[in-house]
Amino acid sequence: MEKYLNQGIKPLIEQFPVLGDILNKYDIGCTDCTGGSCLLKDVVAIHNVSPQIEADLMYEIEKAIYPERDVVKRVVTEQDLQEKKELKYSPPVKQLVDEHSLILRWLDLVEDVLAYIQVDSEQAWQWIAAGADFSRNYADKLHHSKEEDILFTYVDQSLEIIQVMYEDHDHGRSHIKQVYKAVENQDVELAEKHLLAYRALLREHIKKENEILFPWMDRNLTDTQVGQLFAQFAAVNAELQVDEKYRQFVLEVEDKLKKQVS
Amino acid sequence: MFNPGGGCPGARMQVFGQQSETGQEEQGKRVSQLRQWPVQFHLVSPQAPYFQGADLLLSADCVAYALADFHKDYLKGRGLAIACPKLDHNQELYVEKLVQLVDDAKINTLTVMIMQVPCCSGLLALAKKALSQAQRQVPVKAIVVSLQGEILSEEWV
Repeated sequence: MEKYLNQGIKPLIEQFPVLGDILNKYDIGCTDCTGGSCLLKDVVAIHNVSPQIEADLMYEIEKAIYPERDVVKRVVTEQDLQEKKELKYSPPVKQLVDEHSLILRWLDLVEDVLAYIQVDSEQAWQWIAAGADFSRNYADKLHHSKEEDILFTYVDQSLEIIQVMYEDHDHGRSHIKQVYKAVENQDVELAEKHLLAYRALLREHIKKENEILFPWMDRNLTDTQVGQLFAQFAAVNAELQVDEKYRQFVLEVEDKLKKQVS
Repeated sequence: MFNPGGGCPGARMQVFGQQSETGQEEQGKRVSQLRQWPVQFHLVSPQAPYFQGADLLLSADCVAYALADFHKDYLKGRGLAIACPKLDHNQELYVEKLVQLVDDAKINTLTVMIMQVPCCSGLLALAKKALSQAQRQVPVKAIVVSLQGEILSEEWV
């Protein structure tokens, strides 16, 4: 089994097509992946599934590869369950998760802000412009650059999951570029198209990072690396000093839209 | 395990009996991972070269006796200070030293290892107090060790 664990998932699925069905059954969508160079062992480890699911999944995979073998399913202990009960992040990774929370709060407002164009067009366009600035300077310049320039350098950047994160960031940037254009021309259709696509992209992207990538990275970081990351993030925060400004922006839009509803 | 019960959990008499997972004598000798002297928190200097930019381990006195693999798993690669939050005097000095270690020695991380007995949590409280007074912030990890040397919890705080 060891040799298969160290093989790329795509050729493995080609050799054993049933593996694709098994992974799909557990919501690990390797069959749709354009790359597929992740090793089987990484696919299982990265997805941070529950101990019971991991035991079931590995049993089914091994049984599919060796149908004649008397495969024994790993018994999940109480200790396994305790360890996986809740996601806890190291302080620097928690900082990224907290930044995600602010980004999600803005994304939750996007639809209402677009609808507000019918109520007070000038105010709505101001918010859309400020939201594009938030996306460019907070979500991207502060947050994504912490990931790309710092966090991702602690792992093999050729890993597929990291490549996917880079692609998501690039797609996000091109959506925001279009939102800026929409603001310039007061083009409602263009703003709606790209803001909603940006929202869908980032929600999915953040879910992948919070639930899969970050817990996996945290499990592999040494304490010394956690300290180094924390110091590097602190230097970026001190240099940019944008956190408070954008927190206030999100709070202000939340507040005004809430008042509008009530 | 002999346990007459009653009294302070930190001072209550207990006998655990002999423990050996494999039932065999361990072979070979281990190398000490201690890379400094002194280690007692009143005696160490925050200016010491081995604390500059270091991962600091602040350990309750009893931890190294309870935890069989203390050197290999926790002391290795770290600067060390030991203290007893129950018995040591002048613990305000500990807070001051910790602040200096964070701000001046610019330690990279702080790991606080304590025993499971309630009075030992004072060491973690002391570390938190120091962090609240320091200009810099560093990641702090708390590790709680059982009386019989198991890791009960290990988490960033």
